[in-house]
Amino acid sequence: MMNHIRITGGPVSLRLDVVASFGRDARIVVSGHNGAGKTTLLRVLAGLTGAEGGIVINGSTWLDSDSGFSMPPEKRGLGCVWADTALLPWLNVRDNIVFGSGHVGGRHLKALATSLEVDMLMRREPAMLSGGEAQRVALARALFRQPDILLLDEPFSAQAPALRRRLRRALKNLQRQWMIPLIMVSHDADDARQLADVHWHMREGRLLASVDGGMPERKEQI
Amino acid sequence: MYEALLISLQLALVTSVILLVLALPLAWLLAFGAFRGRTLLEVVVALPLVLPPTVLGYFVLLLIAPDSMAGRLWQSWFDTSLAFSFPGMVIASLLYSLPFAVQPMQQALRAIPESWLEMARTQGLDTLRMLPRLILPAARNGILVAATLSFAHTMGEFGVVLMVGGSIPGETKVASIALFELVEMQHFDEAWRLALILLAISFVMLSLVYALNRRTPAVPG
Repeated sequence: MMNHIRITGGPVSLRLDVVASFGRDARIVVSGHNGAGKTTLLRVLAGLTGAEGGIVINGSTWLDSDSGFSMPPEKRGLGCVWADTALLPWLNVRDNIVFGSGHVGGRHLKALATSLEVDMLMRREPAMLSGGEAQRVALARALFRQPDILLLDEPFSAQAPALRRRLRRALKNLQRQWMIPLIMVSHDADDARQLADVHWHMREGRLLASVDGGMPERKEQI
Repeated sequence: MYEALLISLQLALVTSVILLVLALPLAWLLAFGAFRGRTLLEVVVALPLVLPPTVLGYFVLLLIAPDSMAGRLWQSWFDTSLAFSFPGMVIASLLYSLPFAVQPMQQALRAIPESWLEMARTQGLDTLRMLPRLILPAARNGILVAATLSFAHTMGEFGVVLMVGGSIPGETKVASIALFELVEMQHFDEAWRLALILLAISFVMLSLVYALNRRTPAVPG
């Protein structure tokens, strides 16, 4: 089943013009200069920022501005990582990861924590985490609820290069296992090379080019 | 004297507990609501701060008088008068202490970072489920400050409770009125003791408020 987005107009500060279709398990890396509207696009997809147009994901309508419909974010089955990790200071790492999921953990949590290398942090308070650790915890929180779509805004920006490679691999494994779309904003050329099968480039709110990633044999190496 | 102190403590306790429940939705509306009449609501909530207590007491007395609608309803249900009774004083105290409960809660709710609320929504929580898991813990200190201030403020009432309660010994005579009457009757020993107790209670309550305000968790940038 294909997913379709047609977004015309967004917040007053930035007019979006994005028309695209992508497969149910597409891995899309979005690039573009600062202010090109990458984060705004993710926020519109998450339902946090209003926009005109239509969004259909997994066969269900998320946005149809003609009929004034916008599905609230909490119903969209999202897995999000934003620049602000928004870890809650009164919960330890473990409770932050399961926050909002309604179930408490067990095997699935253990495996996820190990693959994202946060398993040694589970009892820590967020205030004791480094920027990179906090970012991995936020990623674990987004993945733990087994979302229907992943919207990630520079999720590896605070990680060391070697760790980035391992995290990319872990993310890709889960995304393939769950067969869900992944849309990731990144400035890192390696993210695009090793993770993307579709590459979106944005400028001034417009989606300029949607390029199917080449070199499949090379991409398989990671 | 101790009887009056006990009535004051009961009144303050009942008032602050009810206000905890009443003030939270009001504070929510004022913190996040975008609707016509928001400013008007804010002014009405804040009015008891500047209104002479006797004015507030007078209006409440009119509202709950035996020939008013509320007064008649109360009479038919409980067969007693609402005016010059403990429940009547509770109604007056709720109004009198309302801003002391709403304003700290409103500030605490507004201080919750937008990014936390957005995170909770993208993690699948609607507003109702956000309440126990995000909003109450994040605003916890503000809510405790609200309860403490309502308690302390109700302990210190004079004009309102005199107007609405009428200073009936053992029923509606509270500590602050008892103190006035003790001085009037020149019972200075007892007056001195009661004044010291009231001072101590206020001191402890305010210390609690300042300690809570200092412990408000720092919001990470």
